[in-house]
Amino acid sequence: MSNFAATPADAGTDVQFPTSNVDVPLPWLAQVWKQSISQRAARFGLAWISVVAFCAIFAPLLANSFPIAIKMNGRWSSPFLHQLTATDVTLPILTLLCGILCFVRRIGFLSKIYTMLIATVIVGSLAFIFIRPPNTPRETYRLLERAGRLQSVVRTPIPYTFDDRLYDQFSADHPHPWAPSHDHWMGTEKFGADITSQMIYACRIAMAIGFISTGISVLIGIVFGGLMGYFVGIVDLLGMRVIEIVGAIPTIYLLLIFVAAFPDYRSIYLIMAIIGLTSWTGDARFVRAEFLKLRNQEFVHAAIAAGLPLRSVLFKHLLPNALAPLLVSASFGIAGAILSESTLSFLGLGIPVGDASWGALLNEAVSAGGGFIWWLATYPGLAIFLTVLSYNFIGEAVRDALDPKLRERS
Amino acid sequence: MPDPLLQISDLNVAFETARGLIRPVRDVSLSIYPGQTVAVVGESGCGKSVTAMSILRLLPSPPSKVLSGSIMFAGRDLVTVPENQMQKIRGKEIAMIFQEPMTSLNPVYSIGDQIAEAVVLHQHVGSREGLRIAEQSLRDVGIADAHRRLREYPHEMSGGMRQRIMIAMALSCKPKLLIADEPTTALDVTIQAQILELLRKVQQQTGMSIMLITHDLGVVAENADVVAVMYASRIVETATVEELFDRPQHPYTQGLFRSIPKFGVTSKRLETIPGTVPNPTKFPPGCKFHTRCDRLNGDPLCSTVEPLLREVSPGHWASCHHAEHFAESPVTVPQLQHKREDYIPLATEVQA
Repeated sequence: MSNFAATPADAGTDVQFPTSNVDVPLPWLAQVWKQSISQRAARFGLAWISVVAFCAIFAPLLANSFPIAIKMNGRWSSPFLHQLTATDVTLPILTLLCGILCFVRRIGFLSKIYTMLIATVIVGSLAFIFIRPPNTPRETYRLLERAGRLQSVVRTPIPYTFDDRLYDQFSADHPHPWAPSHDHWMGTEKFGADITSQMIYACRIAMAIGFISTGISVLIGIVFGGLMGYFVGIVDLLGMRVIEIVGAIPTIYLLLIFVAAFPDYRSIYLIMAIIGLTSWTGDARFVRAEFLKLRNQEFVHAAIAAGLPLRSVLFKHLLPNALAPLLVSASFGIAGAILSESTLSFLGLGIPVGDASWGALLNEAVSAGGGFIWWLATYPGLAIFLTVLSYNFIGEAVRDALDPKLRERS
Repeated sequence: MPDPLLQISDLNVAFETARGLIRPVRDVSLSIYPGQTVAVVGESGCGKSVTAMSILRLLPSPPSKVLSGSIMFAGRDLVTVPENQMQKIRGKEIAMIFQEPMTSLNPVYSIGDQIAEAVVLHQHVGSREGLRIAEQSLRDVGIADAHRRLREYPHEMSGGMRQRIMIAMALSCKPKLLIADEPTTALDVTIQAQILELLRKVQQQTGMSIMLITHDLGVVAENADVVAVMYASRIVETATVEELFDRPQHPYTQGLFRSIPKFGVTSKRLETIPGTVPNPTKFPPGCKFHTRCDRLNGDPLCSTVEPLLREVSPGHWASCHHAEHFAESPVTVPQLQHKREDYIPLATEVQA
């Protein structure tokens, strides 16, 4: 019987497997990516999110009361650089690092994520410790320019920071809010801040609330659901009961109660934490279901049989295979978190007064002076609508790409 | 006589299910000596895979539970060693390859990463050295262009290639025992022959022992030194491969041999063993095989007293009341230190 068998070495060279051929299927996640991005809606969603992300990262370059460069007394200087806050510095650095990591091929995906997390903590804390911009009045350079002290000025496209209340342009005859005009494309709010600038800086809150609260919920969901799905039995039974209890807590009411009960502790991070801590149940269910399905696959047995520790089996072998449905849940989660924050801010219970947020702008649309101010409602409302829609489009596209029945049809 | 590498004694494994206790492994005793290939043969559900899985403690617990017995491996009882020691044994000293090569590799990691992970873990080397060892073990299993294959993903490979990779992964840490759970069942015949030959070649080079689980008697005839036949969660017969093939004693083994098509003999229908495997929740009393047995059917002894393995002739254990000399034979633990010499030479040797 063994005589007709070619030697293993021969077999390896005789049988050539196509490698660079089109017939070779892409890795699964790459397939999902290709499938979802081929949908027009998902492309639109991704484009809009990119715009929002760009505004969030480079907000000080887009809208700033301090000029990028000035020539005063014959010397060039950059007031803009002196006025950068810790957030302004941290975000571009991390974006740059993220971009570099994307192109580095030698490091594994998980190590890249760890690197990113560690870098975020280090850069963030260093920036918050060392960068303390002076509290220069926002109108300083406008006044200098008007006084003719500046020989030349290079300004950002929108020459107002979000908290610049235009004290130099105050006039009792023409009180704020101002309607959109040539100087203020989207008008001003009741304290005189430029809405275009506020809209741009509010992208940060929108991005942060979405990603941080969803990050928290995904993290809890992975650990909780993963343990339940892997250990089954009593762990699963108890875990499921906890999920049911937590799932019964209405997030928005909890937020309302919390903000009303502790008005002194009102902060955006608290809102993120509460949203994250109450919305992980869906993620946990997804991960549990995936782990239940995967734990009896032979590659999991093989991983255990190879003597790999539980940590590696759970997070290196099971988790990446369970990630795809989580992506769907996460993108809907981000949309939900943005809506929650907007709702809270609209009710006047959201972020602290003075920070820019789409929801807070919406709030002013009705509260200022009793009337309805259309430009304070339209632009932030549109932004919230488009952002939530985009995340939903992306989530839906990923879900369709994951669904084999839909894939066959397309 | 040297000590066996692996000695399973009176192993009993049970599953606690809603329908009651299922006992897929009952009083199984098996010894594997260094360099030996022991085949465990039996039909689906007879407990052969469960036996193999309990060696590495891969069965989910609950529902599974070892009721009694011991699995001695290199001086340690694998039933009771703590989990952290078990992790060091898995993959390093005992490796396992699985039936289904299409699903036994993780789809999200490249071949190199998967092999190297265990190598780095067990041999305490850096990741670059781990990849080098992985590449070498790919070459050892006859994969051409191993360096490039390291960076490829499982979906880019055929079934035979994947099974080779599984073997490479299992062999990368130079285990003393390889458990091969139906390694060729999912492959077509030519690939099957290549894989079996590969296993035999590796065994010649490294002197490891192989526990070969299969239901294919052809595979057994070609590769095993010692055979254990399992039926309804017990070993019903064990002997050296020559002895078993020449003089099968148990009616189940005999039935298995009769149901192999014979070369040159034309018959309308292939012979089969009548009936089906009894439901593990309600095994018949007495001999588990008596409901399907064609030998002296109706003997009250068969349906009341369960026969235990007895050494019916030197080096041949069987559990049938009607085997030759069964009544006067002693009940002993089967230990067969046999290494056959009449191997069909490897194709490589023929060419040389």
